[in-house]
Amino acid sequence: MKTFVEVNGRVREVELVERLGELVVTLDGKRIEVTYDEVDPYGQVILMHNGESFALSIEGDGQTTAITLAGHRYDCALEDERERAANLAARAAAKGGGPVKAVMPGVVLELLVKPGDTVVEGQPLLILEAMKMQNEIGAPGPGLVSALHVERGQAVGAGDKLLTLKGLE
Amino acid sequence: MFDRILIANRGEIALRVIRTAREMGIECVAVYSDVDARALHTRMAHVAVPLGGRTPAESYLDHKKIIDAALRTGAQAIHPGYGFLSERAAFAQKVLDAGLVWIGPPPSAIDAMGDKIDSRRRMVKAGVPCVPGLTEPVADPAAGALAAKEIGFPICIKASAGGGGKGIRVVREPGDLTSAFKAASSEALTSFGDGRVYIERYLDQPRHVEVQVLFDAHGNGVHLFERECSIQRRHQKLIEESPSVVIDAETRQRMGEVALRAAQAVGYVSAGTVEFLWSKGEFFFLEMNTRLQVEHPVTEMITGIDLVREQLRIAAGEPLGYTQAEVKSHGHAIEVRINAENPFQGFLPSTGTISNLRNPAGPWTRFDSAMYRGMEVGLAYDPMLAKLIVWGPNRAQALARMVRAIQETNVGGVHTSLPAALQVLQHPEFQAGNFDTHFLEGLTIQSPEKYADLVAIGAAIHRHRLAKRRALSPAASERTGWVARTRSEVTGYVKRAGAQEVSQ
Repeated sequence: MKTFVEVNGRVREVELVERLGELVVTLDGKRIEVTYDEVDPYGQVILMHNGESFALSIEGDGQTTAITLAGHRYDCALEDERERAANLAARAAAKGGGPVKAVMPGVVLELLVKPGDTVVEGQPLLILEAMKMQNEIGAPGPGLVSALHVERGQAVGAGDKLLTLKGLE
Repeated sequence: MFDRILIANRGEIALRVIRTAREMGIECVAVYSDVDARALHTRMAHVAVPLGGRTPAESYLDHKKIIDAALRTGAQAIHPGYGFLSERAAFAQKVLDAGLVWIGPPPSAIDAMGDKIDSRRRMVKAGVPCVPGLTEPVADPAAGALAAKEIGFPICIKASAGGGGKGIRVVREPGDLTSAFKAASSEALTSFGDGRVYIERYLDQPRHVEVQVLFDAHGNGVHLFERECSIQRRHQKLIEESPSVVIDAETRQRMGEVALRAAQAVGYVSAGTVEFLWSKGEFFFLEMNTRLQVEHPVTEMITGIDLVREQLRIAAGEPLGYTQAEVKSHGHAIEVRINAENPFQGFLPSTGTISNLRNPAGPWTRFDSAMYRGMEVGLAYDPMLAKLIVWGPNRAQALARMVRAIQETNVGGVHTSLPAALQVLQHPEFQAGNFDTHFLEGLTIQSPEKYADLVAIGAAIHRHRLAKRRALSPAASERTGWVARTRSEVTGYVKRAGAQEVSQ
């Protein structure tokens, strides 16, 4: 079974095959010797590799997983082959556009764009106030504002759609 | 000394005060909101009084509820911690009027230092060096432009009633002044209910250096040396240390004397901190924090003086009992704040349930934490969850110890500021002492590539295990046969109708 794992901005292909109860691991086509040992049911894991032991703290649901190793935290996004195909198709259809979502709960303080506006990457779209701090939400890429889903003064939760960008031709 | 005190706060600072009070044989009354019913400070106090309510305004900021709780439980004094009511002179006065002792400075001193413009005027009069600029609030952007011309760019627009970095804007070009002025004024209005702002010179490569002072009620005062807090973001500190690498013995002495003079000018009593901006050998008064500060353990580690104990002794009327010459600094201490925020996404607040918690330990490692497994981290309160403090005989050993302690720690369930702190501590420029208050803003927080492959493998195996466990666990369908049959019929219908497979 192949899993596509995005870490540090790069996708790695991990293939796991269970053979006689042992996991055979391949990373980007290369065979890797590792053993995976769960210390407790809460996410403490020991990964043995090249005779070295790495203590991992793992949390997450399988699609988004966070691993902390030696104080460094890695946010991973995982897809299997079916999910990857579906997500690639969805991204292609949006042509770089798509919904801009709130990454945290807050209150929309000001809208800086209106439907029909063309925006460049990083251009402030709106100001979201959270914990008494004003945060500018920038455009993730160039696009055309096709819809606004919020209005001024509205409270939003994490993951709520703020507005939708249409990719430029 | 008191028999019983009330702690009008929550989180790690409430625990911090409870710990010293217990050591002194003083009973503690904790107060808590509905959200904090299971919090550690509620469990560690001798008596815990529910305030009700979910928001700070309904609980920890409610003057009447807190004073009533103190009177009802027979507490003789109130310790405010930091934040919440700690710098509200009106509350301090109400505590005194109720016949209780306020463990902090006199309300008049809080008032005098609370207004930035007023305090600046007093400091200039007392001969304390201040940043060039206006002491009067500026009415509108046009007046601001005129004033800025005189002071010279870059300038800094600040809220008169400000604090904690809110309502502050830096302007480098005259053209940006109008929009920055409006933004600062509106942020000041929403944060403090007071839209007045003032303008001063902006110092290049500034470093934040502050001096801890202690005054008893008999006119004796000492300073406990400096703390450097230049590693900050939006004026929210992340790493603090003492001593500062840029302060030499002569400057240290002069800074201490200036800090004492600043505190004396407002009739200060109790523990307080005089903040300075240091730029190219000069230092200027910034503000005075009329309370115990978050980073006070750094000073405790190098001096061996328990600041909460001193606050309690002073509030009970005891004299300090030692002179400046008897206060000694030893070695180097560093503190890192563990905030619930995501350093990979611009330090945005992070919420969740604390899990998979592993606390650091070891020699000269102090962990002031209010975390416990299952704790809900929401947006109602300050994002600071804990502080990690270490001591070493010199800066290099203290840095190494802090890196080790961070690597030992794990906080699951939320993102924390720890990876950012680790990156700063391992940065050669930080290790060399070359940094200013913009250092952290200039860093892109990223985890090292060397572990990324292993992490990818770990994540994939974790997913594989989760899927396997789910497949092996007895499903509801096995337990109730008719549900399974119904479900297969529904799934069949959906498939026939041309819809995608539905997940349960």
